[in-house]
Amino acid sequence: MNQLIFDISVWLDDTAWSTAIHESYYLYNWIESTHVITLMLSLGILFLIDLRMLGWALPNVPATRLAERLNTPMLIGFIVMFITGILLFYAVPVRSSQSLWFRIKMVLLVVCAVNAYLFHRRMTQSMSTWENEPRAPSTLRKGAMISLAFWTVIVLCGRFIAYDWYDCEYPQPDLVRALAGCIDGQIRF
Amino acid sequence: MSSATNSTNNLSNNSSSDRQSPIGPYPRATIAGLALLVLLAFSFSGLRAETWTALLPFFEWMETTWFGYVGKTWGGAFATIQAGHLVSLGVLGGAVLFSDGRLLGLYSSLPLREVIDGSHQVFKWALAVVVFTGVFMACGVAVKVYYLPVFWYKMLTLTVGVLFAFYVRKPLIDRDLSVVSPLVVKLTAVASIMVWFTVAATGRWIGFS
Repeated sequence: MNQLIFDISVWLDDTAWSTAIHESYYLYNWIESTHVITLMLSLGILFLIDLRMLGWALPNVPATRLAERLNTPMLIGFIVMFITGILLFYAVPVRSSQSLWFRIKMVLLVVCAVNAYLFHRRMTQSMSTWENEPRAPSTLRKGAMISLAFWTVIVLCGRFIAYDWYDCEYPQPDLVRALAGCIDGQIRF
Repeated sequence: MSSATNSTNNLSNNSSSDRQSPIGPYPRATIAGLALLVLLAFSFSGLRAETWTALLPFFEWMETTWFGYVGKTWGGAFATIQAGHLVSLGVLGGAVLFSDGRLLGLYSSLPLREVIDGSHQVFKWALAVVVFTGVFMACGVAVKVYYLPVFWYKMLTLTVGVLFAFYVRKPLIDRDLSVVSPLVVKLTAVASIMVWFTVAATGRWIGFS
């Protein structure tokens, strides 16, 4: 599996567009800046919804109506983040795919997506009973806490990707090498 | 029902804002405007270079503080605080976009007063974390950022953003918005979004400089 990921990454790395993006100072920085600044639209709004569910913010705003109205701008934000994230990966595919932090981030993104789906389903099933309460029911509050915590760790992992602490090109413990998917004889980053 | 009543009461409760001041009906906005003019005059005067030179010992001292020591010594701590800075910036941006979006007429089914008051509380907390984590990060690389023009642009935009948020936007949205020109309200919302977008963009650019 790691060999397959590595081979695909090398193939992506050899494409002209990948080289064009990572060798262009302005294009790469514009993409990365868009990725980070879109946090305000995606994560910022998601956290507002989570804080409302926990009763820590906007207690007088009807909860499910808030979540429904903010869904569209939040999704637009996440789509922009997703596209720019793919472009950032495409610009540096080999190093990214062998990054421990990138892999943790991807796993947590999947967990957050599942959590968001379950959260939305539970919210629509129960909305009529607590719409104007300052706090959501316990199951939804747990979902909001998971969302807050995991998205914070995702941002943290995103920051850690920039550092080379666990890069495969340096000697690493076996566990790190296994989790990062380091390939023996790997010479290109 | 009770929230709707509260909303109506809050909307018409503008007696404190309507009190006359010696410098006109918008004292905080006037002071903020004057402060911005002084800041602009300062930026284009010879005083700026003198002040910049005089600030170097302060930035050198910042690196010797505990924050500076931790930031320079432990990359993990620095990156973790950076992540906190980003998350709080995201929350600040979310609060700005939500509140200003509502002022622009989006999500009109949500109660106006509750949205803008609740968002302002979130905004204040997020701003406090942004500033705290920002100071920590600056201490770790104080002398480096001292020589970066974009760092000073960021400080300038942050100052403008804070003055605008607390001395222009807040007094305006505290008023009875039904008697304020909708154009003024919308222009304020657009200006607010632009100011905080600029703060975020200049901050991001520090990383590339």
